[in-house]
Amino acid sequence: MSPLTPVRNYYRRWFNHWLAKRIPAEQIVVLDLKRIFIFPSKAGFAYLGVVALLWLVATNYQNNLIFAFAALLGAVFVVAIMHSYANLSGIRLRVTRVEPTFAGQKAGVELQLSQQGKRRMRDDLTFSFAGSMPVTMTLPGAEATAMLYVPTSRRGWLLPGRLTVESHYPLGLFRVWTHVLPACQGLVYPKPLPGQPVAVLDGVQGDTAEVRGQGVDDFVGLEKYRSGEPLNRVAWKHLARGRGMLSKHYGDQVSTSQWLDWQAFPGLDREARLSRLCQWLLEVSAGGDLYGLRLPGSESALDKGPRHRDQLLASLALFELQAPSGNGEGGQ
Amino acid sequence: MIPVWQISRYGSLWILIAFAASVLPLLPYLPLWLPLACAIAILWRVQIYRARWGAPGRSLKWLLVLVCVAGLLLSFGSLAGLEPMVSLLVSAYALKLLEMQQKRDALITLYLGLFVAVILCLFNQQFSTAVVVLVSLTAVTAGLVGINQSDQHRGALRPLKTAATIVLQALPLMLAVFLVLPRLGPLWDVPGPGGSARTGMSDSLGPGDITRLGRSARIAFRVQFEGAIPARQQLYWRGMTLSDFDGRSWTRTGPVGYPQPAVQWFDGVMQREEQVNSAAIDYEVTIESTGNTWLYSLQLPEPRSEDVGLLRDFNLLSRRPVNSRSSYRVRSWPQLPMDVAGLSATRRYLETRLPPGSNPQTVATAQRWAQEAPSAEALIERVLSLYNSAFFYTLQPPGLGKHSVDEFLWSTKRGFCEHFASSFVFFMRAAGVPARVVVGYQGGEVHPEEGYLIVRQYDAHAWAEVWLEGRGWVRIDPTAAVAPERISRGLLEYFSGREALFGDTPLSLMRFRDVAWINQLRLQLDAIEYSWSKWVLGYDDVQSEVLTRLLGKIDARRMALFLLAAGLLALAPVLVFSLLPRSGHRIDPLDREYLRFCAKMARRGHQRRSGEAVRDFAQRCAAAEPQHAQAIQAISDSYEQGRYQRTENQLAQLRQQVKKLRI
Repeated sequence: MSPLTPVRNYYRRWFNHWLAKRIPAEQIVVLDLKRIFIFPSKAGFAYLGVVALLWLVATNYQNNLIFAFAALLGAVFVVAIMHSYANLSGIRLRVTRVEPTFAGQKAGVELQLSQQGKRRMRDDLTFSFAGSMPVTMTLPGAEATAMLYVPTSRRGWLLPGRLTVESHYPLGLFRVWTHVLPACQGLVYPKPLPGQPVAVLDGVQGDTAEVRGQGVDDFVGLEKYRSGEPLNRVAWKHLARGRGMLSKHYGDQVSTSQWLDWQAFPGLDREARLSRLCQWLLEVSAGGDLYGLRLPGSESALDKGPRHRDQLLASLALFELQAPSGNGEGGQ
Repeated sequence: MIPVWQISRYGSLWILIAFAASVLPLLPYLPLWLPLACAIAILWRVQIYRARWGAPGRSLKWLLVLVCVAGLLLSFGSLAGLEPMVSLLVSAYALKLLEMQQKRDALITLYLGLFVAVILCLFNQQFSTAVVVLVSLTAVTAGLVGINQSDQHRGALRPLKTAATIVLQALPLMLAVFLVLPRLGPLWDVPGPGGSARTGMSDSLGPGDITRLGRSARIAFRVQFEGAIPARQQLYWRGMTLSDFDGRSWTRTGPVGYPQPAVQWFDGVMQREEQVNSAAIDYEVTIESTGNTWLYSLQLPEPRSEDVGLLRDFNLLSRRPVNSRSSYRVRSWPQLPMDVAGLSATRRYLETRLPPGSNPQTVATAQRWAQEAPSAEALIERVLSLYNSAFFYTLQPPGLGKHSVDEFLWSTKRGFCEHFASSFVFFMRAAGVPARVVVGYQGGEVHPEEGYLIVRQYDAHAWAEVWLEGRGWVRIDPTAAVAPERISRGLLEYFSGREALFGDTPLSLMRFRDVAWINQLRLQLDAIEYSWSKWVLGYDDVQSEVLTRLLGKIDARRMALFLLAAGLLALAPVLVFSLLPRSGHRIDPLDREYLRFCAKMARRGHQRRSGEAVRDFAQRCAAAEPQHAQAIQAISDSYEQGRYQRTENQLAQLRQQVKKLRI
């Protein structure tokens, strides 16, 4: 630990505090004078070095023309402040969607940029959340969207935190940047882990199965082919005879109902159980069964389909978690 | 992971253009092989971009550096001096162009470009140079835009447009900084440009030296007189006196035999106050870069500027070589004699000395004539009439051998001014009369509108000064004896129609001076050039005057405020942008007319309620204002129609109706 670390930590705390007051969370962020910071970049300081060198040459050679051009380059530096600022100023930012994801994976955050009034070409805009890959893009017209991928580690609500917007356009002499806090949150589901559920018999409702046809692999009949069905089920002979695309169906457990039960993973802690339940849920929902979720203190309806699955995933994600009180600083 | 940065397509393009724009104007001052090296660098870069050739490897790069340094050493002998340093800079620029891969390399390349573009002003400070540098700086700025913008744009000219906007917006602030910022003296000594950058007088005179200048229309200096311009025959601009003859050419001697000090530097006080009854001429000379220290003035000058001194032979000297266009003020006393009190014995010896055995025929004749002549004046008269009777003044004199004076005087009899001056001085010395050669310029062209005098290289002249008892040094111009029109009307008039001029400057507008509009244009361009040198290049001299007029009084506070105001002006757009509240969206012109109508109605007390339909509002108003019912209904209809079927007519009609509605 370097001796400066406490100072740096103190500074960082102070800065975050100051930033939270200056740029609070907003639904729609408009980049303006209050939010945009500007400072010469390394290239900008090097440029000033060139100007100083030219001034030295002008002075030593008593050359007023070189003096004038050194002054011109200095003036270009000042004018570049304005252009750098104008490149960011007036842009409106909004997070339209945070894609739900599983803990440990990256969550897609969809960012919508727009500008009002006179549409200027905004160039070299770099966006990044803490930990995300920066995305560089332009805003040529009224609107544009960008996808940023934010890493996640734990289930629950994902708060992507401060969005850094940065630009060096037009001359690279200045870094113009801001750390804004667009209001948004997304769900992070538990990380799916494989596990072997034990049968739970609580007498309330056993597993039921309706079987159409006998035997697991017995042929039941032909139905109209639906896109997405495996091709090895297609009745090629019928197709060849010109009777259309039909798929063969075999006798199987066509419709069963299953309970995903908290009790099915005895001896594991809460997070581990949620991860197993998540994996189980994913497997079950891929089939055609009806399923439901039993968590301590709650029980869902039996249903199937993507909506139902997402609802159950959400209740896994938020199990025994408090809803976030507003969009606070920094991640989860 | 950081994505690999690549120089964008238009970035590469503009870096190449910037390279060409900044290096091209410098090429005349650089060794001949350097343009070739630059062309190869550009070609190689283009091929790298097209993925045809690879970038040079490490060892090849070092080889190229060694080749360049070796080439520079071969061309210049050493790397000290301005041209070698600039050449080194240009080579580095070209090599960096090859090496460029990262954004950092591109930046270094472009910053080198900024420097190289401006360095041109060390060699040439004409107005046109300033324009060229402005263009190359804009190209380099476009390069900076090119590497900082995304590669998604189609327009190759977009970086240029942005760069030009920025440069134009920077001009007012530049002007303010240029006006106000104080100039310091040189901080250390620096090498000036070498021979290639200048033409003009050298400090020796041999046969053909001035003839060479006679073919150049380049400007030597300009003179602004405070009073009337003296007659052309009086305009002998003395540069140097040459007293040492080696049988072929004349060179200077030191101040041996004169009282010390050798140079009287201007110290801010009038030096010749006792001569107030003699007529004086005040003038300011703006001299082009010569690389030498001698300055030009009319007879018996007195320096009136800092760092200008008076030599013992009554010529002016600059403390530092004139490496850029600069100005000095002089007061001349044309009637005052020079060295009238007498010559010291050493001086007399030096001014009559001739190399032994040189030009025997002339020496013999001179000694004979000296015995025959009753006075030195009579002898001079006799020699001049000899010239007048049998000699020709020409730009193409025949070549001369070892005894140049003998050959010229007794056989070829054709020569330019240096032949006449040299032979005359030789003759006088052989006759025992102290004499010396003076080189400088004679005459000049008066600018018809601006009233200043333009002296060009072809005005270069050589004449003689003879020391006579009781009169001091007297100017004798043997050329005037042969070709009096050369002196009274100028070289151009004299030779026009006779011999080809301007071999050195084939494109000179002087060539077409007989075409009225070209002559007019030429003189106007020169007027611009003169104002340029006076107000921009020589701004140091007028800075305090300009600032006093601009600010009322010069003090640090006012200067700071002025700069601040200029800076704020440069940033004005951004301040306006952010301080004025912006209306969210622009109002449709049709809506604007309708709102105007609503405002008129509101003045009568009929407020349109929020959510009230246009038609309902019209009905309510028409009922309340029966005398305007028709007009109101018409406006309402026009607006509704316009909403659904926009035509320009509809808008114009509505505007008309609203305007007509007088309530």
